Amino acid sequence: MDHVLTLLIVIPIAGIVPLVLFFRDARAVKQVAVVTTFIELVVSLVALAQFHVGEAGFQLLESAAWLPSFGIRYELGVDGISILLIPMTTLLTFISVLYSSGGAIKERVGEFMAAFLLLEVGMVGVFMALDLFLFYVFFELMLVPMYLIIGIWGGPRRVYATLKFVLFTLAGSLLMLVGIIAVYLTSGDAGNRTLSLPELLGRSGRFSPDFQFWVFLAFALAFAIKMPMIPFHTWLPDAHVEAPTAGSIVLAGVLLKAGGYGFLRFAVPLFPIGTQAWLPILILLSVVAILYGAVVSVVQKDLKKLVAYSSVAHMGFVTLGIFVLNQQGGVGAVLQMLNHGFVTGALFLFVGIQYEKTHRRQIADLGGLANGWPLYTAFFGVFVLASLGLPGLNGFVGEFLVLLGTFKFNPATGPGGLFWGPAAAIGVILAAVYLLWMFQRVMFGTLREAYRALPDLSPLEVVCAVPLLVLTVLLGVFPQPAIAIIEPSVQRVLAIATEASAVVLK
Amino acid sequence: MTFDDLVTVLPEIVVTATACLVLVADAVVGRAAARLWLPLLTVAGLVAAIFAGPITLPSHTAFGGFVVVDTFTAFFRVLFVVLAMFATVVAPDYLARRAIPAGEFYATILFSTVGAMTIALAADLITVFIGLELMTIPVYVLAGMARRDRYSNEAGLKYFLLGAFSSAMLLYGFAWLYGLSGTTTFSGIAEAIAAGGLTNGATLVALALVTVGLAFKAAVVPFHQWTPDAYDGAPTPATAFMSVAPKAAAFAAILRVMMVALGPLGLDWSAVFAILAAVTMTGGNVVALAQPNVKRMLAYSSIAHTGYILAGVAAYQAGASASAAVLFYVFAYGIMNLGAFACLIYLDLDGTRGATLDELNGFASRQPVGALAFAVFLVSLTGIPPTIGFVAKVFILQPVLDAGLTWLAVAIALNAALAAFYYLRVVVHMYMHEVDANAPRLLRTDLLSAGLGVAGLAVVVIGIVPDGIYRWALQAAAPFVR
Repeated sequence: MDHVLTLLIVIPIAGIVPLVLFFRDARAVKQVAVVTTFIELVVSLVALAQFHVGEAGFQLLESAAWLPSFGIRYELGVDGISILLIPMTTLLTFISVLYSSGGAIKERVGEFMAAFLLLEVGMVGVFMALDLFLFYVFFELMLVPMYLIIGIWGGPRRVYATLKFVLFTLAGSLLMLVGIIAVYLTSGDAGNRTLSLPELLGRSGRFSPDFQFWVFLAFALAFAIKMPMIPFHTWLPDAHVEAPTAGSIVLAGVLLKAGGYGFLRFAVPLFPIGTQAWLPILILLSVVAILYGAVVSVVQKDLKKLVAYSSVAHMGFVTLGIFVLNQQGGVGAVLQMLNHGFVTGALFLFVGIQYEKTHRRQIADLGGLANGWPLYTAFFGVFVLASLGLPGLNGFVGEFLVLLGTFKFNPATGPGGLFWGPAAAIGVILAAVYLLWMFQRVMFGTLREAYRALPDLSPLEVVCAVPLLVLTVLLGVFPQPAIAIIEPSVQRVLAIATEASAVVLK
Repeated sequence: MTFDDLVTVLPEIVVTATACLVLVADAVVGRAAARLWLPLLTVAGLVAAIFAGPITLPSHTAFGGFVVVDTFTAFFRVLFVVLAMFATVVAPDYLARRAIPAGEFYATILFSTVGAMTIALAADLITVFIGLELMTIPVYVLAGMARRDRYSNEAGLKYFLLGAFSSAMLLYGFAWLYGLSGTTTFSGIAEAIAAGGLTNGATLVALALVTVGLAFKAAVVPFHQWTPDAYDGAPTPATAFMSVAPKAAAFAAILRVMMVALGPLGLDWSAVFAILAAVTMTGGNVVALAQPNVKRMLAYSSIAHTGYILAGVAAYQAGASASAAVLFYVFAYGIMNLGAFACLIYLDLDGTRGATLDELNGFASRQPVGALAFAVFLVSLTGIPPTIGFVAKVFILQPVLDAGLTWLAVAIALNAALAAFYYLRVVVHMYMHEVDANAPRLLRTDLLSAGLGVAGLAVVVIGIVPDGIYRWALQAAAPFVR
């Protein structure tokens, strides 16, 4: 299949057309959306099948002139860092749409599905774009649909939450836009300028240390807000608590990854000296995120907020892995992104399923659910264990590699891996505390009378959960194929970063 | 004056003739027929005007050097005609509902359009001034056209008084320029100034007066005070037109006068313009944040956009890309801002008052097409892809950074984030609030929906493939490249 990446962008857009035609018919709209996202999932697997494992560079390249007077190109490509994130995105989108079509979304179904398909365009695009301008367009394209998804179909404080989400994200990304244009102007002389990543990597000698310092900051702000890193995380709990279940799944599962991916894809290889300059602060913030996210999770009374804060901690592992700048850390970070997508996506799904049935999210109001819902308990239990990093499940692999990389981290000045490693490891212990304690309070004990008649998982919910469960176990027991895909590209990025910093400093 | 001279300004003649024809037709045909035929006649005349003038041609002067027709002229001719057409299409049902005389409305818009087109033709201070007056005097009338509404009266009067004041100031500045150089042609002034520089105190006075006069016309902070009341009080279709065409024309005048006649002083005025730009965008946005009335909020937002455009003018050292960015932004702003104001026409309120945020509650479920178009315009005004407003911001940021004005670029970015708050708040009320019991009636107008649909589509399509328009703007900026 040629142009498989473009196809991934076209399919959701094409799906919007029949959606608009059957706009009033909620049933037809749901079917169109489910079929479209399923086709998208299949095509993304085709892309994965076409990917040559072991090659480090970009593959499945597509390139066409887009804005010739600016030298901006429509340029798509994938490497080991991005190729796995794309099926993750399409799978989570498919599950979100499938779950929402089961009755979780009752009003304005047409608009909801249209927003979701548009969101999918942005999400897959972000992981494929190799031109910075194109990347920015996709990065921002995710914003408006998510804004609507939270704001229209969200909880009681949805308007506050969605505005906060948009304003935080936009403030960061607009500064990145200034940075992108600065990169453009520095990339060459008039007529020869470019924003194409492969091109730029060859020209990074043009980026002076001072330039890198500021432009890295502009990029880092955008990505740090998106991730979110502390202290820019305050939009996340609000957005998650108010978002509908499907919104939470993709928000945690995919949108946050755009930040970590952006760091690894653009900020680190393009501005290695800037990276070095900001490294101490970024590592500190990562470890703070791990510990702070975990401590705050322990005291959460709201189930969804707990999962949201645990995301802050998990994303801390991603940034930590990226910024220790070694192979284990980098591979661990990518794996952590992938695993967090499946596991936290699943956790939000199950919190959502639970809420649909009980209409309660306060942990104190729940309890004993295991007595009534054996199936739910089994699934939820596995995901909770995966999230806390139990060996044998996928969460462990990523965190282990990140910690391994952290221990090997050995900077010229400042505290090294032997300081940060143990500090981050405490976060893993804390994760066990808040997750197990939550599981105990929610699932065990006596079941309330009011919940006694509530049904266990419906077939649709099982269908939604099974792929995630399979991947959670599979990636935990057998992570090697994924590592084999990721590793060469991470190595390449790190090599480029070291090389480029040598060129500039010379 | 030769026959060739007249051919040069054929599009302007066509629009003038159409205006006269509309006035005659208004007197002749019955009221029911007028409702259909007058807008049709107006649009037909405007279309004819586009075809009456060439899109690109080697620049040539006419009327003894008073007039120049070049790619710049061609660009603005098309832009003004499109804006006038858009304003005509959205108006009929509103005018009928408020009993505003339709014939006069269209004719006034056409006369104003001729004035705006004249500015784009100018090679001489006198032509600029005639064009400005011919453009703004009809707009004063437009603002006050709802005769029995006191806000409309206030709008007309305020606009007229401050407009007259700024025209006087501008004219005084032109007089100083004439005194300095002994000529009113742009090229002559440029030569005289290049020889003398800014050493002469008189040059400084002339520069200051001209800058202030033009800043009034474009609604630059701190010369913007007339804008909110004039925009708010005018009948909404008039506001939609007023907020874009005169501003575009003001920037045409700024480019012609500043870049050509005062080009040799570029380094001196560009620093001032950069500061004015930052003050204007920040001032407009901060005040817009606090507006519960959407029409007034859009008035302040249009001030903020003046700031973004002005930033492009300030970056003139970046060369053609700066002027092209200004032209593209003016084009983008024209469509999206006219569209945004026009969306308020749906709300059938008393007088000329604009809707408050609360009155827009649940608008999406009452008028899906209008709400979607409004949302697209607002997203575009915010500068989020894939819209024309986003690419326009990128095109502005590029020369601003290229000219070394990094602080101004950061100011634009922060301002855009600030503006997102009030733009998206409108979307919140339209999409995320339920319809109130006291929601205003809606005007039934399919023509408006059709016009907004086309404009909304254009905003997205050009946002995805902007290269054609940008290249056209680049060509149009060629006369300013030395």
